[in-house]
Amino acid sequence: MQTGQTEIIERVRNYVYENFLYMHTNFELRDDDRLLEKGVIDSMAIVEMISFIESEFGIRANEDEVSEANFGSLSCVARFVGEKQSSALAS
Amino acid sequence: MCGIAGIVRRFPTGVSVKTLGKMAAAIRHRGPDGYGFYIGQRVGFAHVRLSIVDLAGGAQPLTNEDGQIVVTYNGEIYNHPELRRELEARGHVFRTRSDTEILAHGYEEWGVDMLQRLNGQFAFAIYDRRSEVVFIARDRFGVRPLFYAQPNGAFYFGSEIKAILASGEVDAAMDRRGLDEVFTFWGVRPPRTAFAGIASLEPGTYGLLKDGALWLRRYYELDYPEAREEPADVIEKLDELMLRSVGMRLRADVPVGAYVSGGLDSSITASLASSASPHTLRSFSITFDDPQFDESEFQREVAEDVGSIHAITAIKRDSIAATFGDVLWHTETPLLRTAPVPMYHLAKLTRERGIKVVLTGEGADELFLGYDLFKEDSIRRFCLRRPASAGRQRLLDRLYPELVGRGRGGEFWRHFFLEAGAPSDPLFSHLPRFLLSARIKDFYTPEFKAGMGGVDVLGELRGSLPVRFFGWSPLNKAAYLEMTTLLSPYLLSSQGDRMAMAHGVEGRFPFLDHHLYEFASALPTGSRLRGLREKEILRRWASRILPHRIKERRKQPYRAPDVPSFFERGSPAWVAEALNPDALRRVGVFSPTAVAGLTRRCGAGFATGFRESQALVGILSTQLWHRQFIETGVSVQPLAANGADVVLSETIPALS
Repeated sequence: MQTGQTEIIERVRNYVYENFLYMHTNFELRDDDRLLEKGVIDSMAIVEMISFIESEFGIRANEDEVSEANFGSLSCVARFVGEKQSSALAS
Repeated sequence: MCGIAGIVRRFPTGVSVKTLGKMAAAIRHRGPDGYGFYIGQRVGFAHVRLSIVDLAGGAQPLTNEDGQIVVTYNGEIYNHPELRRELEARGHVFRTRSDTEILAHGYEEWGVDMLQRLNGQFAFAIYDRRSEVVFIARDRFGVRPLFYAQPNGAFYFGSEIKAILASGEVDAAMDRRGLDEVFTFWGVRPPRTAFAGIASLEPGTYGLLKDGALWLRRYYELDYPEAREEPADVIEKLDELMLRSVGMRLRADVPVGAYVSGGLDSSITASLASSASPHTLRSFSITFDDPQFDESEFQREVAEDVGSIHAITAIKRDSIAATFGDVLWHTETPLLRTAPVPMYHLAKLTRERGIKVVLTGEGADELFLGYDLFKEDSIRRFCLRRPASAGRQRLLDRLYPELVGRGRGGEFWRHFFLEAGAPSDPLFSHLPRFLLSARIKDFYTPEFKAGMGGVDVLGELRGSLPVRFFGWSPLNKAAYLEMTTLLSPYLLSSQGDRMAMAHGVEGRFPFLDHHLYEFASALPTGSRLRGLREKEILRRWASRILPHRIKERRKQPYRAPDVPSFFERGSPAWVAEALNPDALRRVGVFSPTAVAGLTRRCGAGFATGFRESQALVGILSTQLWHRQFIETGVSVQPLAANGADVVLSETIPALS
């Protein structure tokens, strides 16, 4: 099933707040904020986030897809998940 | 190996034997074999003894022939027979066979220049009654500890901070900046400690105290006069230095054992010790239930190869939480790692098996560029010369295959290393580690952060670097930073001296012989790290004494279980108590809200990365440390003068 972009962003944002920003309660995470640059997640946490995204949205990220372009921000994640779900529906 | 403590008053108001007895009692674990005092009008010394050399005659404090030079000393002077011959030739008359007496006569003969002649690991205080000067010193690399405080013009010193606090005359208070260093470097860089107003004498430094003023001076500097080419006889020279260093460190009147990790360095020291020792070598290892930490297969192989009688201590996950509080009592500083805990158990086993002295491989990774951090530095510099090259960046994956393979970190993984700092930054090599460790500061309360007043510990470290640092090659800069930020402040103390001495075991470190250090630091860096092959020259030489499989074994970082140890079913009640919001508020360093989030993730099994595991260990250890030292304080029953091996006194009795 295709998930809307806004919903993907909100679900991932909530996940990030709950798991990686619990020590920064006043932090405002915007859709285009670079997660790594802002110190929101580190290279270890990205792995955890990708696992969450895979199970939450029923997709699978290949090794070469683990990149800034696909997971660097909430917007990037939403676009990547949307494309993955679309291609799964098409096939 | 022993423990020392003392008081130097500004005016001759007397030093009470009861106060010295309390100071000695606080560090009795360092010297369970005996104790003694020197009691004077201005100066009082205490000593607890672990008898290793001259078992019958080595009691302390000890004086020279006329009683004018008084010594209390912790450590070993390995070249004491040679120095003794030299001093006897100059007319000094020795009453004992102990290395302590070398200090009394050596000071008399050479003054503070004696330090240049000492080969060993030591911390001592010498009272020169003629000039009313107290002379304190610590060995070149900071193997043996020495702390001091100077409240109101008086001077208190001790092998451990608890000795100073036990006097009842020095207050225990948290040093925010010291804690901030722990949460960056894993340990506090001397002269700072985690306690406000209590300093650590820097390695390679001595102090002269007169009329209440302490004058400090460094007598040994780390240097890296790197040669362009290896000398032709480099292997022969290394062979000679290794044999001599191990041979000197076997000098003892008790059997000397060895710790065996299964890696190259301790295999070398165990092998050389086994060959040179008159006894069948006793070796000791840590094994882990968890295979990701365990090296027992290699340890057994080494023990078999060197023909030692081998014993192990098996560390289970619950061993960590069960003894973490005891370990903190001995480290006297918060920790970011649980790695000292197994070392505590290892020393306990060693002592139970009747061994008081062990050789270990500590220092080889610093001298011969063994840590992954050194390779990481080279690869990061290589990548940053052509940032667009994906091929170069993939070298980072090769460096930590176990983490990358598990983690699928891809581009993000590389980003972490490549964005950590510019090659022009003097701390470039260490920034990934420092910045990762510093993530625990996200948990600070706003008040604690504000109370720090904008302290920048990285800036302070940059500012403290000697001018010659900037002329060294990148790998030598990294080696210097490793020696000064980690080796002495953390490895030799929290994992080394404190864990061994908690059970009255003396560690000896053949790789930290200063002649060997000077040899290694003058080699081309390519002799130590060739491509991605670490400790290259050491491996080349070790083919003479070790089987191929051990000699070529890749370095495995020593780690111990962390988060699961504190969150498994049946974990001790103190964990929840320490993380309780009220307890956190009482200490004031970490935010209860932030810690609640971490606790939730730890409990759910999600906190598996370095960032959160270090945060958890840092928070738990800070809470325990604060409770033990700041809230409860150090309270001991004094050791009584009538049970002492020696009580020296000035002719005029002490006033109290």
